[in-house]
Amino acid sequence: MELELRHLTVSLNGREILHSIDCRVKNGCFLSLLGPSGCGKSTLLKTIAGILPQTAGEVWLGGACADDLPPHKRGAVIVFQDVRLFPHLTAEENVSFPMKMQGIGQQERRAKASALLERVQLSGMEQRRPHQLSGGQQQRVALARALAAQPNLLLLDEPFSGLDEELRLQIQKLVRRLHDETGCTTLLVTHDKAEANALSDRIIRMEDGRLCPVSV
Amino acid sequence: MRRKQSRFSRLILAAAAATILFPLALIALWSVSSVWEWPGVLPGGFSLRGYETVFADYQQMPRLLLFSAELSLAVAALSTLVGLMTARAIALYRFPGRKLLLFGTMLPILVPSTVFGMGAHVLLIRAGLAGTLRGVILMQTVCALPYTVNILTDLTSSVGDGLEEQAQVLGCPPWRAFWAVSLPELLPGILSAMSMAYIISYSQYFLTLLIGGGRVRTLSTVMVPFLTGGDRTVAATYAVTFLFSVLAMYLVFEGLIRLMARGKGSEPWNWN
Amino acid sequence: MLRPLQRRKIRRRLAPYLLALPALALLGLFAAGLVSGLMQSFGYIPAFGLTRFTLDYYRGVFADAQLAASVKLSLWISVSSTLISVVLGTLLCTALVRLRKVRGFTLQTVRLPIQVPHTVVALFTLCLFSQSGLLSRILAQAGLLTSQNQFPNLVFGSSGSGILLAYVWKETPFVAYFVLALMQSVSQHLDEAAATLGASPLHTFFSVTLPLSMPAILRAGLMIFAFSFGAYELPFLLGATSPKALPVQAYIEYIDPDLRHRPYAMALNGIILLLTLLLAAAFFLVTEHTAKKLGGDGHAT
Repeated sequence: MELELRHLTVSLNGREILHSIDCRVKNGCFLSLLGPSGCGKSTLLKTIAGILPQTAGEVWLGGACADDLPPHKRGAVIVFQDVRLFPHLTAEENVSFPMKMQGIGQQERRAKASALLERVQLSGMEQRRPHQLSGGQQQRVALARALAAQPNLLLLDEPFSGLDEELRLQIQKLVRRLHDETGCTTLLVTHDKAEANALSDRIIRMEDGRLCPVSV
Repeated sequence: MRRKQSRFSRLILAAAAATILFPLALIALWSVSSVWEWPGVLPGGFSLRGYETVFADYQQMPRLLLFSAELSLAVAALSTLVGLMTARAIALYRFPGRKLLLFGTMLPILVPSTVFGMGAHVLLIRAGLAGTLRGVILMQTVCALPYTVNILTDLTSSVGDGLEEQAQVLGCPPWRAFWAVSLPELLPGILSAMSMAYIISYSQYFLTLLIGGGRVRTLSTVMVPFLTGGDRTVAATYAVTFLFSVLAMYLVFEGLIRLMARGKGSEPWNWN
Repeated sequence: MLRPLQRRKIRRRLAPYLLALPALALLGLFAAGLVSGLMQSFGYIPAFGLTRFTLDYYRGVFADAQLAASVKLSLWISVSSTLISVVLGTLLCTALVRLRKVRGFTLQTVRLPIQVPHTVVALFTLCLFSQSGLLSRILAQAGLLTSQNQFPNLVFGSSGSGILLAYVWKETPFVAYFVLALMQSVSQHLDEAAATLGASPLHTFFSVTLPLSMPAILRAGLMIFAFSFGAYELPFLLGATSPKALPVQAYIEYIDPDLRHRPYAMALNGIILLLTLLLAAAFFLVTEHTAKKLGGDGHAT
């Protein structure tokens, strides 16, 4: 789904974090948002997803204004930096969660969850609980879960931080592969230039709540 | 040096444990003594007459215990519910008056319930709540509130709303998100808060006496006259009965908490 | 008609207030109770036809030697029991922290007094320290006493020692438990650092652990002081005929069939209220000061 931001301004606790952001992302594009910590990248993702209401400006998804849609109706799924798997659910139940919201029956959910876990190379881990999974495995469950939601827009908030070099490369490849398979518009937030270069179709730099003119 | 230190600490702990357990053991002993006159250091004889006396009327005691438990459970449930909502406001939102609310909820711990009770009594009389169960529950809930807010605020703060945010972007409406992903995390703490509020309510004497006006009889109010009465065996029996009934409920709560923590890998909140 | 986005923003703003509503209602009742008591203490009791504000009743309290003695007794009991409990409680807490792996049994034992009501504490204080109590009996067996009356009147005596001991039993574990989380965290983070800098364990305790745990210790102290000053059960069950502790005296005046005593009851409550409000103010100041020094709310114990 196409994403468009029009003069998006967001303030938190009286401080303006994002200053009149304008941006257009084509459907199916893999965009990296590159910037130092604290420049407002996460805030931007939350606003796009609808968790954080903007102070001014508009978010357009798929050619329609998304502002009136609450987060659970927008289809913009965030994979957070701190993974946020539901601790009381197994891996399979985590992945099934969005499908449960969609009203899909239990049998079908299980089958689809297993398939998704296989896609992220976690077959056999269905009954494990989050605390029984390694960091890398948790990330992959989170990705599978995001895909289960059949997102219009996939937002990844520095999902590879805290992983060692080898794992990082593995999951990066996975993310790119999933993008190519699903064709889902993906927004990756990162502070690693090499990573952005390796994965994305397009890079936008961000500094102090503003987007820098596109250089790539 | 380390060993000498821990020996000293062990001594302190042993002394503390002895000081805590000995008086309770003494009461337990007294409750099963038939007669224990001065200057005997051990009971003159053993019998269950204390228990026979206390439980003599088979209708009264079990009914009294049940009633006291129900009252305290009601207070626990109410104060925990209010505490949970208040904790959420304090922990997850920034708003003018937040500090005031936080400090305000602490007041009933610092300002004694005697002052509160005697002052509010006339208001309750006017509202027709004096001498009623509802009135007692209401007043005790006010007294238990600071404890539940305290326990739940720290907990809500650490659980945060991150999981709810995640659930929402995955298609889950806000209320359902709280219920489905935050509540399970909060459950052990909720049970802890309830346990604490239960104990506070169950141990209440003055407020129940004042507000209940003799019409609301709990184990606490019934047993006090016996405690200073002449028959120490009966007094001890009442005390032991009380302690057992509190302990029983506490163990129920603890059991539930451990049940929740099982299979999650998270630390059971057993120090609360 | 507002757009959903605006409605959501308004709901967000209102959310905390709506959530706080039940607590505010309960606190409103609390405040109303205090205000009602205060008004009555100033002589404003319309139901009795008294509508003039006056300080007479307060003056009456201090003019009456017996009532003044009550104030002194309550202060004495509270100050001493608080000081002793804070020292012993901190010591107990230190022991718990030092022995990093404390067996569950010990922990549960230290927690036990929380579940024992003051009324039961009164009972075993009698069993131990009254003239017919265990201590007296032991001394008799040792040949030091020949009759009960020779044993000092600890419990029902005018010194209030029985009440004091009872409070210490109940409050020492409370202090230990209240301070535990903070002291554990301080110890965990800083003990090793201090040791590598050459500090002996004792030195570390007094110059690092104790000062940093002080906020929790102070707050625990303020809480138990306020509690012991205004609580009814222990002084009622273990107190002398005279002087009675403030809350007990207040209640006696309150239920006096001669309603002219009512404002005196409220005046006694007013004195308790004033002192505990001062303690509350100190409590909040300590909390705020800690928050500023260490960041965060400072409300986490």
